[in-house]
Amino acid sequence: MADRVIFVSILVLAALYFYATEQLPSLEIGDPLGPKAFPRLLGVALVITAGILLLEILRAPKRASAPRTAEAKQSDRGTYLVIAGVVVWTFLFFLVFEKLGFVIATTIYLFALMAYFNPRKWVTNALTSVLFCVGSYWMFKILGVNLAQGILPY
Amino acid sequence: MDTLTHIINGFAVCLQPINLWYTFLGVFLGTIVGVLPGIGPSASMALLIPVTFGMNPTSALIMMAGIYYGTKYGGSTTAILIRTPGEAASVMTSLDGYEMAKKGRAGAALAVSAIGSFLAGTIGVVALTLFAIPLASMALKFGPAEYFTLMLFAMTAVASLAGASPAKGMLSAVLGLMIATIGIDLQSGQPRYTMGVPEFQDGVGFVVVVVGLFAVAEVFRGMEGIYKGTAPEMIKISGKLWLTREEWKRSIGPIWRGGVIGFIIGVLPGAGGTIASILSYTTEKRLSKHPEEFGHGAIEGVAGPEAANNSDTAGALVPLLTLGVPGGGATAVLLGAFIMYGIQPGPLLFQNRPDLVWGLIDSMYIGNIMLLILNLPLIGIFVRLLYIPSGALYPLIIAISVIGAYAINGSVTDLYLILFFGVLGYIFDKVDIPVAPLVLSLVLGGIMEQSFRQAMTISGGNPKIFFNSAITITLVILSIISILTPFILARLKSFKGVTAEAD
Repeated sequence: MADRVIFVSILVLAALYFYATEQLPSLEIGDPLGPKAFPRLLGVALVITAGILLLEILRAPKRASAPRTAEAKQSDRGTYLVIAGVVVWTFLFFLVFEKLGFVIATTIYLFALMAYFNPRKWVTNALTSVLFCVGSYWMFKILGVNLAQGILPY
Repeated sequence: MDTLTHIINGFAVCLQPINLWYTFLGVFLGTIVGVLPGIGPSASMALLIPVTFGMNPTSALIMMAGIYYGTKYGGSTTAILIRTPGEAASVMTSLDGYEMAKKGRAGAALAVSAIGSFLAGTIGVVALTLFAIPLASMALKFGPAEYFTLMLFAMTAVASLAGASPAKGMLSAVLGLMIATIGIDLQSGQPRYTMGVPEFQDGVGFVVVVVGLFAVAEVFRGMEGIYKGTAPEMIKISGKLWLTREEWKRSIGPIWRGGVIGFIIGVLPGAGGTIASILSYTTEKRLSKHPEEFGHGAIEGVAGPEAANNSDTAGALVPLLTLGVPGGGATAVLLGAFIMYGIQPGPLLFQNRPDLVWGLIDSMYIGNIMLLILNLPLIGIFVRLLYIPSGALYPLIIAISVIGAYAINGSVTDLYLILFFGVLGYIFDKVDIPVAPLVLSLVLGGIMEQSFRQAMTISGGNPKIFFNSAITITLVILSIISILTPFILARLKSFKGVTAEAD
């Protein structure tokens, strides 16, 4: 099933890539091939890949995939929900990263994640989050790398 | 004679206090990274690139290489004590190493893996020293067509060996090349595939891709493990950290053989440390007088694979340094580091910067000695790292990735990119698409397109140039063979299966 989705995605991607390549204006100055030739080759390679994948799908022995129990499905759904939650939380973190600044945004981000994945150890989690953020901020400041100051005065 | 002087001068470079310090820092970080789950050598080298930007490139590369071979030492510790390879290449060690630990021989297992790693790592560096010059002088004859076909071979080999399905490996490689075409085309000045994002004009940095695919995706997988509650149990170190005479006698053969196997596999593109250790394990099992002990705590099953995956790292540096073409994911990141410091590895580097090349190679002798000390008498310190609750460790790894990615350009776009590639890496893992080919071709993509266009310019647009010399023809044939091999093997297997059933 997953392989079929990949197969279709490859074809869609190849079509998009070919289209984007043809949209590039040609500037052939001192370069007989121009900026399009290599990408065209890649597009062809992608189509060939799709062909080989199709062969693999057709040649794969039809093994009846072990019937998944309702519990396993439930657990899978739970896993994907948790990972999706982490992804959204990380996205929100990046969204406010420069506004709030590294120290505040990262401390909140870390503390919330640790509260979920390392539960009940409130003091350790809080200390780790704050110390890590303040420490790395200052270390990089000394190294001359500025990690988003944000709303803090320094 | 000249070479000998260069080798000795290399020691003068790497014995400078500052470089000794960076060798130590590299192997120390490597051991930590090898022990900790969630972050491997590729991601940690990539994260260090922005930090080391202002440094002397020789020192920076010595440190990066230290991380690369140092992880192999650390990876075996977790394989033995918690049956979880800290690094993919230690997977074979977890079979017999963990069984030894259960029987109260954890000390011996750790000792043999550290000693085996040290001996084989040193064998590897000696071989690297001997092979580098002849290969580099041969590579001097390479023109753009030869380089293009060589890179093609490296990519097809990695693509077809990296995973179960050659099609998915190829997909990964082509995607990497496509990502490499994003940004301003160097020859025409034409922006390509920037999708209206101004930050994409400089291309998608390989650091963010590597950090996303290797660190962030790994964190997602680890969080999945915590959610499902599959945390492994740890065995305390028991027994002296040394070998009995009997164990020593049984280990020395596997260490030598593993060292040779690992180096050869390392030089060849595509295969890498995991395959080297599997090969060594099966070799030892076949040679053994008591193969039934394998899987139940046979010391040969720890000594051989550990030796193999360590000399593999030295072998993998041969094509990177002499040809400038890496044969796997981690060496691709090293090449990326070279390029970011403005250094092009390859045959000319041996002529122009012998101090850098030999300083780097010679530092590996010293690094291996340091690793032996870190991983035998001081192993207790690193084992403590395993007590860090992973629920706190994984969020911190994301935070470290954020620092590394943001430090490059100070741009939030790079942060969104590590998240994007983190999700992509997580999905790829679920559907069995390997990521190493993507990283390799992303790093090589730019050089590959340049050599393709140069070759075509030389030939006046005639693609026959790729079939003109013995070298290019051989490389093209090798590329085709490496794509076809998995199919032929599958055929053979099903054929064998049929005859076995007929019996």
